[in-house]
Amino acid sequence: MSLENILTDWSRYRKGLEQGGFHDYEHMWGMVIDLDKCTGCGACVVACYAENNLAVVGKDRFADGHAMHWLRIERYWDEPDLGEGRVAEYQHHGASFLPMHCQQCNAATCEPVCPVAATYHTPDGLNAQVYNRCIGSRYCSNNCPYRLRYFNFFSYYESSWPAPLHMQLNPDLTVRDKGVMEKCTFCVQRIRAAKDKAQMEDRKLTDGEFQPACVQTCPTSAMTFGDILDLHNPGKGVENTRAAALWRKHEVELGKTRQTKQDPDLRGYRIFEGLNTDPKVLFLERVREV
Amino acid sequence: MSLDKMKRREFLKVLGWGGVGTTLAGCDMPTTVTVQEGEEEVVAYLAPEEYVIPGIGVWYATTCAQCGSGCGVHGRVREGRVLKLEGNPDSQVNRGKLCQAGQASLQAHYNPDRITAPRVRRNGQLETIGWDQALALLEEKVGPSSGLAGERFAWVTDTVSGHQAVLLKAWMEAVGSRHHYVHEAVNDAVWRAVCRDMLGDENPRLRIDKARVILSFGADFLSTWGSTVQNSARYAEFRTAPRGVLVQAEPKMTVTGANADLWVPVRPGAEGVLALAIANRLAAEHGRDLSKLPADVQQQVRAYDIDKAARITGVSAEHIARIAALLNERAPSLVLAGTPAEGHARGYDNVAAAMLLNIVLGNVGKTLESGAGFPFPQLAAKTGGNRELLDFAAALESKSFDVVFFKGANPVYTAPEALKLKEKLAGVPFKVAFTQFEDETAQQADLVLPLRSMLEDWGTHVPTAQPEQMLISLQQPLMEPLYPETRGFGDALLALLKLRKAPQYAAYDDYYAYLRNAFAALPATLKQGAISDQQFWTRAVQKGVIEVGAGSGSLTARVAAFTVAEPADQGRPYTLVPSAGANLHDGRYANLPWLQELPDPISKVVWDSWAEMHPITAAKIGAKTGDRVRIESDHGAIEAKVYIYKGMHPDAIAVPLGQGHEAYGRYAQGRGVNPLKILGLATETKTGELAHHATRVQVTRIADKVGDKLVKLGGSEAQLGRKLVATVTADVYARTEGEA
Repeated sequence: MSLENILTDWSRYRKGLEQGGFHDYEHMWGMVIDLDKCTGCGACVVACYAENNLAVVGKDRFADGHAMHWLRIERYWDEPDLGEGRVAEYQHHGASFLPMHCQQCNAATCEPVCPVAATYHTPDGLNAQVYNRCIGSRYCSNNCPYRLRYFNFFSYYESSWPAPLHMQLNPDLTVRDKGVMEKCTFCVQRIRAAKDKAQMEDRKLTDGEFQPACVQTCPTSAMTFGDILDLHNPGKGVENTRAAALWRKHEVELGKTRQTKQDPDLRGYRIFEGLNTDPKVLFLERVREV
Repeated sequence: MSLDKMKRREFLKVLGWGGVGTTLAGCDMPTTVTVQEGEEEVVAYLAPEEYVIPGIGVWYATTCAQCGSGCGVHGRVREGRVLKLEGNPDSQVNRGKLCQAGQASLQAHYNPDRITAPRVRRNGQLETIGWDQALALLEEKVGPSSGLAGERFAWVTDTVSGHQAVLLKAWMEAVGSRHHYVHEAVNDAVWRAVCRDMLGDENPRLRIDKARVILSFGADFLSTWGSTVQNSARYAEFRTAPRGVLVQAEPKMTVTGANADLWVPVRPGAEGVLALAIANRLAAEHGRDLSKLPADVQQQVRAYDIDKAARITGVSAEHIARIAALLNERAPSLVLAGTPAEGHARGYDNVAAAMLLNIVLGNVGKTLESGAGFPFPQLAAKTGGNRELLDFAAALESKSFDVVFFKGANPVYTAPEALKLKEKLAGVPFKVAFTQFEDETAQQADLVLPLRSMLEDWGTHVPTAQPEQMLISLQQPLMEPLYPETRGFGDALLALLKLRKAPQYAAYDDYYAYLRNAFAALPATLKQGAISDQQFWTRAVQKGVIEVGAGSGSLTARVAAFTVAEPADQGRPYTLVPSAGANLHDGRYANLPWLQELPDPISKVVWDSWAEMHPITAAKIGAKTGDRVRIESDHGAIEAKVYIYKGMHPDAIAVPLGQGHEAYGRYAQGRGVNPLKILGLATETKTGELAHHATRVQVTRIADKVGDKLVKLGGSEAQLGRKLVATVTADVYARTEGEA
């Protein structure tokens, strides 16, 4: 392995899809979140805690920013699209809710800064975090423009699951210890179980065969999860997914920092795509009758 | 520990305990298992129990018992432990979906503060005893030998349904008592009374999905009001093109209000006037015919033109006109009224005025359907409100009871201080609490009997709001009980019944046997294609629900007599809104850490209480977000930190329900305040419900406590130009995503 090879691979690895990035994808898991259907209830958040062994940190640590919610629902009061600068006396159009979990960027800013390659891009298009490789430099968290990486400043498990609460822990994934970064995985344990099952049954994965915990529980079905590889590499990945259909319908393309839509009024948008992170979560704009 | 003393399941459980922290990620099969520390014998998986494959999770159907909605769930069981719940797609109540409380019911099951053995009060202290002693005590105190007459017994429960309700009723009949108080602090009792009087059905089906416009007077149907997961699925259809418009009028923004196209702040108690003004506008501007309405109702409608109503309600005339125009333009519509409209002395009249709009707009039979026709009325959900709490307290006052049983309800926590319930309870000679936790009520009991969790127990549940295809939902244990010295509620009821009617119930060894027999006795029409009772039972257990057919019945609209009253703000300057949220509900979920750490959807505060107010109000009080205030009513005072936003009426101060527990385990106890404690005892005139939104309070800024911060998610309340949540107008949406 020459230095030249390393540098070449590294610079390919740094590139996004549009520049012929590093990966020969098997799948590209993506999501669509309809903000007009999301009611901000929080069922998805609890489902995530239950599925992914997320630690409950308590009030004081929450105040210090230690909450380990891989999925959080942000709430904003301003509505710039309904008249910037308008100062109404009341919140006449309600609140703006935004479920935020890892955007599983194709050109993730968290990945190249990891000194030990603990976070890397999988052939499934996920930003994986290898816990036992992580040394806790926190560069990735520092570099994530969405603030969606969570660091174990303490051994939260010591207080999070007093017996017998720990009996609920999901044995399909670990309980993380002090010094390790963690983040949303799109429930990779469910992805792997479904892939293994399909392989054993000698068939391809089908759309909707499995869902991440948040998507499965959402009372208004505001979230759609699926393989969007077809957008990047037609004919590959899971066929005819609803997620890919929604990306097409809203004319949002991967690998772009600015979308060129035939109809600019279509609701699909990605958060901070101008930063060339190439996120794989598509949001559909909230709708209001004004 | 030798194997013959230990059941296989328990052993697997032990394996699981030791396995925490062992990395099994990414494997189908665990490669290592560890044994609980200190155990000497290691026994390999030689002959696994039937259906148990190490490393493979199996999903079983059961029913969520967190509230009365009766959502079907699938629980994932691995190595003898239940790990995760999902909605059961076969249940038309929740169609594969689940709310946060349903998800968090795992933590009620595995809660570290569960009661693990019966306790009895001796010399003022609760002491642990065995079940045989507990049963002997029950026989002595409530059996025939106690010599107590029927009416001296009472039960206080939360919503009950299914065969548990049947057994409870059988016991009441066996002793000859009628005093079963179903108490729900968060309820829709007044709405039900109005529906009964004006539609002929107290529990109509809300076809949110069919409506083009919804006008809701504070009915938080997405979060706390009615069957919220069922409502949410219908709401998703409502929001699918052609997209429905949601208008919410309430003094404090709820989650439903936060999703409204138009949210208007109503002066607390003025909902009825607002409804009348909308009716007035529908007649005056849009030519709706009101001539068939009773004369006094017509007169009331005429009395409130939009300008006058604007002065009374605080809702601008433009907004009233716009709401009327929307309701007129788009049919069908649906008008709902919830807790904030109900909780006043004339709450019934507020809700009746809202229901009048449904009748005027022709919604009855379209978006309001009959919920009648459930073929097994004895199994139907028996629900209640706060009137039952007041009635119970009144009966205690007159020393009516010798024995009181509690199950599900926690009246010592939910009763206003002014009711002096704790003191009155002291006059009851023998109090029995069936519970999983030592809550405030259990602390007053003489005998505390530990129940199994919903994931360890048998039962049947009938949803409070039936879907189109009505159903009975079956609850089965998903794992061995964590604590052997706990009993199922059905088993406890059977034990009580055997004290009184031994011959009739002797055949049933346990509640399971009773249920099997009850299922066998169900009419053959329900057992479609099942060749035997055994097969029918197996199918029911697998599917989790038994569909019993579509309901029959229709609604008949009839305008009941009502007289809307204008709010008369007397005494202290602000109205207290004790607001319910989905996270802690009426306080029953406060011991679940996931729900404590889940930020409130509106304020985003965690692990605490807070006081919500409008910036105008805050300016008057001189408080900023995070400052501490004292909220004082005629009946007491509470202190909380302020959260300021523009989703409040300036006359209202909202304090969320759920915190302020004096007991109920490590996660609930000593956290925040309970606004129910300072409520006055005024009642709703027609229904006798507690007027829980009618308490007037004074609010004063007080000194902060050192280190006591308002802890909430997120630093910025604004997007700061970052295009995080973008919004399009409905016109654009209609063009791009179609009208159909």
